Amino acid sequence: MEIGAASFWDRLVRIVGPEHVSFDQTLRTVYSYDASLQECRPLGIVFPKDVQEVSAVAKEATRYGVPIVPRGFGTNLSGGTIPPADGLIVSLFRLKRILAIEPANRRAIVQPGVTNLELQNALAPLGYFYAPDPASQKVATMGGNVAENSGGPRCLKYGVTTNHILELEVVLPSGDKHRLGGPTGDGAGYDLRGLMIGSEGTLGIVTQLTVRILPKPEAVRTLLVIYDQIQAAAHSVSAIIAAGVVPAAMEMMDQPVMRAVEASFPCGYPLDAAAVLIIEVEGPAAGLEVQVQHIRRLCREHNCRDIREAVDQEQRDRLWAGRRGAFGAVSRLAPRYLVADCTVPRNKLPQALAQVAAICARYSLLNGNVFHAGDGNLHPLLLFDPRTPGQLDLVHRAGEEIMEACVALGGTITGEHGVGLEKKAAMRLVFSEDSLAFMQALKPVFDPLCLLNPGKILPDHIHPASPPEPVGPFIAPGDELIPNSESEAAQAIRRAFLVGLPIRPTGSGCQQTFGNLASISAKSDNDHPGFLILKTTGLNQITEHEPATQVVTSGAGLTLAALQAALAPHNQWLPLRPPFCTSRTLGGIVALNAWGPDRLKYGAPRDLLLGLRFVSGQGRIINAGGQVVKNVAGYDLTRLMTGSAGSLGLLTSLTFRVVQVPEICRMLAMVGTEKQLVQVAAKIMASSADPAFVYAVVRAAADSRDLNWELFMGFEGLTDVVHAQVAQARNLVRPILGQEPLVQEYNHWPGPWTDILTSMYTSPYVMRMDLPLEKVMSVTAAVMAFNGWNLLMVDLGMGRLNTGLSTLAGQIWADMSRMISDWGGYAALEQAPDDFKSHHDIFFPDRPDWALSQQLKEAVDPKNIFSPGYGPGRR
Amino acid sequence: MALTEHLQQIISCNHCGFCQVACPIFRVTGREDGVARGRVALLASLMDGKLPWSAQVEEPLFNCLLCGACTANCFPAIPTPDLILEARQEYLKNQGRKSLHRLLFDHLLPYPPRLRLTARLAASAQALKIKNLLDSLKLLRFLGPDFPETMDIPGQLPLQAFRDRIRPQTWRGRGTSLNVAYFVGCGQDITCPEAALDTLDILKTISRTVEVLPNCCCGLPAETYGDRPVARNMAERNLKLLSAKPYDLIVTDCSSCAAFLKKYPTLYPEDDPRHSVAVRQVSRVKDLVEVLSEHPPARSGRRADLVVTYHDPCHAVRGQKLKSQPREVIKALPGIEFREMNEADWCCGGAGSYALGHYQLARQVLERKVGNIRASQAQVVVTSCPACVMHLSFGCRRNTIPVKVIHLSQLVNRP
Repeated sequence: MEIGAASFWDRLVRIVGPEHVSFDQTLRTVYSYDASLQECRPLGIVFPKDVQEVSAVAKEATRYGVPIVPRGFGTNLSGGTIPPADGLIVSLFRLKRILAIEPANRRAIVQPGVTNLELQNALAPLGYFYAPDPASQKVATMGGNVAENSGGPRCLKYGVTTNHILELEVVLPSGDKHRLGGPTGDGAGYDLRGLMIGSEGTLGIVTQLTVRILPKPEAVRTLLVIYDQIQAAAHSVSAIIAAGVVPAAMEMMDQPVMRAVEASFPCGYPLDAAAVLIIEVEGPAAGLEVQVQHIRRLCREHNCRDIREAVDQEQRDRLWAGRRGAFGAVSRLAPRYLVADCTVPRNKLPQALAQVAAICARYSLLNGNVFHAGDGNLHPLLLFDPRTPGQLDLVHRAGEEIMEACVALGGTITGEHGVGLEKKAAMRLVFSEDSLAFMQALKPVFDPLCLLNPGKILPDHIHPASPPEPVGPFIAPGDELIPNSESEAAQAIRRAFLVGLPIRPTGSGCQQTFGNLASISAKSDNDHPGFLILKTTGLNQITEHEPATQVVTSGAGLTLAALQAALAPHNQWLPLRPPFCTSRTLGGIVALNAWGPDRLKYGAPRDLLLGLRFVSGQGRIINAGGQVVKNVAGYDLTRLMTGSAGSLGLLTSLTFRVVQVPEICRMLAMVGTEKQLVQVAAKIMASSADPAFVYAVVRAAADSRDLNWELFMGFEGLTDVVHAQVAQARNLVRPILGQEPLVQEYNHWPGPWTDILTSMYTSPYVMRMDLPLEKVMSVTAAVMAFNGWNLLMVDLGMGRLNTGLSTLAGQIWADMSRMISDWGGYAALEQAPDDFKSHHDIFFPDRPDWALSQQLKEAVDPKNIFSPGYGPGRR
Repeated sequence: MALTEHLQQIISCNHCGFCQVACPIFRVTGREDGVARGRVALLASLMDGKLPWSAQVEEPLFNCLLCGACTANCFPAIPTPDLILEARQEYLKNQGRKSLHRLLFDHLLPYPPRLRLTARLAASAQALKIKNLLDSLKLLRFLGPDFPETMDIPGQLPLQAFRDRIRPQTWRGRGTSLNVAYFVGCGQDITCPEAALDTLDILKTISRTVEVLPNCCCGLPAETYGDRPVARNMAERNLKLLSAKPYDLIVTDCSSCAAFLKKYPTLYPEDDPRHSVAVRQVSRVKDLVEVLSEHPPARSGRRADLVVTYHDPCHAVRGQKLKSQPREVIKALPGIEFREMNEADWCCGGAGSYALGHYQLARQVLERKVGNIRASQAQVVVTSCPACVMHLSFGCRRNTIPVKVIHLSQLVNRP
């Protein structure tokens, strides 16, 4: 041990106690691996017990310049937890408590060392679940889930980890502690929580997570579909998705894997079949039969041999136990494996499987397949014996070829296992050098000395391309430019960068005043003449729409309404209905991450976006994400850009996941007292009825307040399912209300609440508040105590309160937003007169993570040309 | 070395990590050297010379409970406990045996009378509350640094061992045909004589004759310590005894002894004549649980209602695959409401004499078990291994939960 290390060790001992730190050779040996093929012995291992100790350890590591690698149970499949030889492993095992389960807030608060399954087991007796369920959930910790942005079988229906994390507490190498996110997941400022998720422990050490939990569906049915040809299974998968059926899971397993599993535990797989699909549907019991029938028919049409259904929980458990244990089981076939993790568009599955088989044949490698077929997320297992010389190299080469083949099919290099060490070089297959450089610039914001899990994710020696020489029109402050192409936009931005001219991106202009009052515009009476206005409306082409895979890519300047019109002939739509949805551009919606009460069912823009392109503050074109539903390659710039309000770059192109148009939409509308309606909403939210939205509307009136409460809840989807949901909801409503609610039919687009929102925005002030569900009513009461409110929309599904106000005193705004912040929520003024803005920050009060946001902006927009002054803290 | 024969098993661990969820020690320590994946990785490093056989590896090799939960949870079923036993032998060869182990294994366990005498001394000292005397004896100090605390585990030892009361000899039974040998485990003999009396009574009801054997320790403690020669020595003594008469059945009411007796053949290479002797004798060995399940005792008449839960000894559930049998036996008894506890097959942490050497670890493993017992709201915990009875009783006493821990015989034979 070196001298520096000796005193470092002393300091660690002082922090955690001698029994919780070790530099022993023995212990270092067993912390030299994870579940991947990589290996390296660390300098030592430390076991802090809480966030204070994590923070103190990080601070010491920074002081001594020792790299640190956070680690859960070390089951990473890409080498993400392999330490550098001079690095310290920070085991988060002792942070293993479930701190709170709050069904009424639909959230649970856990420490990172809790395993996914422990959380599920704690939730199950309460009738709740946490949606992401990685196959290794028994031993995958929640901290690891966040680091990798884990998926799992069920994410076909529910999405991946980033769609279910509301808030993170993270410790940075400086020892500073930050809270990122909020009660609805989003806070003011950049989505640093989104950036943190999937960052593989390179940006921060997660010490606490607040996750969204959901009521368990009423019923589940599990099918085992047996095939004589693997291609037929792959075709069935794309047929089912294309038909608009959304199973909770669709998993495939081929013969070699089934044999290995059956040799371990008899799980009921047919050993003579080429492949099986495990297909699971869940939801209201009444709607399942029709879905099962649909799936059975499609599988038969695609030449399945047989279809079996699990008759009881035990059979179901066995099918899943085999699937979940498959990676371990294949060591019966060969001692080690390399698992690829590519995702391809679902309709490319048959080609991808054929190419994997061909590549393995070329290298004479035994391979098995067990994977999330519904997501197009392949896991070819390349089996080998490390004692055979040269095999390891062969396996890595074959793995690279598989990634190349999948990328060529429109896919990506990793769907859920992460880049780690093993796929660093392959990052170049999916990202331009400029994009990699943009990602690289983010790391020092959190980790200036590059001590956190160094050497992961990004390839070595990134060379950004030389920036474009600006040609094209000369630009001046106050100009409004409508570029017709991404490169035109890049030219203009490059020119602006060179002269330091500030830029304000806009779309259709309907939320142009959003944000603080930029000081620069205060210089003039005209509309922001200090800025170059970059209007995206010229970027309005749909560049790709593959109906079978339910993915669409469009220019950011296309309006949502135009997109819906283009999707309609294919019976598809983008399920977003934010304020002004009929006139806004896609770019505008994404820039503000704008959403309506249907976020409850469909998610927000951040949940529906698969990838995007933008021009950075240096005029470079950056690509983020991709075209596939599961993608964890690199830092999640897609989430970072969403909601960044035009302050990090100009969005040029957006790729969304779209869905089938619901067969029917039914809304229960009712009038009642506040008490009754809040009770109805709570009942519905705690039930398995799965509404698309639940919101109340209150209009200010001179007479009794109670009578002005209206509640609306909607159900959208397959006819049988919706009828069952409506029946269930009526049964819940009737006893509380003492009468039948009104059941109305409505069109899915633009949805039933556009008029309310439009009328709300006629008020000079529009305040929006996001809160834990249990606090919504208290805040509603506080708002109603003001003079000046005229309309309230209380989203009782998501915990958002929108109100239109005719007047707002600065002091009330300050008190109100501070109170909301104290309750774990946050408030912002969507709309306020310039005069008000010139005295007050519309994002209030300050959050410590805004400083991080600010540093991040400086790192990627060094001349601060994008929307300066509009953001939180008027930066 | 013998470990090399296991190379294939060692390299077939592909680090999936699923053992982490099953290992009671890992659940307590969270340390990778305390779970199958890490132990197997250590063995691999020891074998290819990346790691020396130093004192540093003692703890990871010896803090394994050998409960086998990892193997049961391992898809390729890597037999980590077997590998650990081989490694312990290897370790002793390299590091040597400690003098106090020699005392126990060479001079006490092979000689039941000496062992009982020692136990009686200890019990008298306890009864007279001469804790200092006990401490000064320091007889079991070798078992670990937590010696003073470990003295709390057994509670008050009985003053008279089973075979001090019932001389080893042949007793007449009430059955018609079977001639049964009762192999008395050290634990049952010394710590649970009441249960042994019940076992004898049960065996009498089903057999023509019952012979209480003057057997010595089965050898399991020495084997788990890695002392194969001593284990063989004891096995040979016992095999000689078992071969002496043509018993129909050799029954023991200690599931740990039963599991190890059944493993006697593996102590010898297949071409060793002692191997075939062992195979022959062992074919007649039965755990009392098996006997009860094949010859259900005719228990008629009403009994007081009792809520019962069952703890699976590792050597019963994994060692002998006895999972349903004990439950069926219990459920068939009159007046019983059976309630399955959570994680019934998790090791209690007693693991034979493990708790005496790793008091702190064992206690933490035990806490989890006690939590599950408490949650079951049972009045009585039943099990079939005296070490489990002792350790579970300690856990319930320590947490002052009003639960009685008894041996299966005591439940079957309750008045």
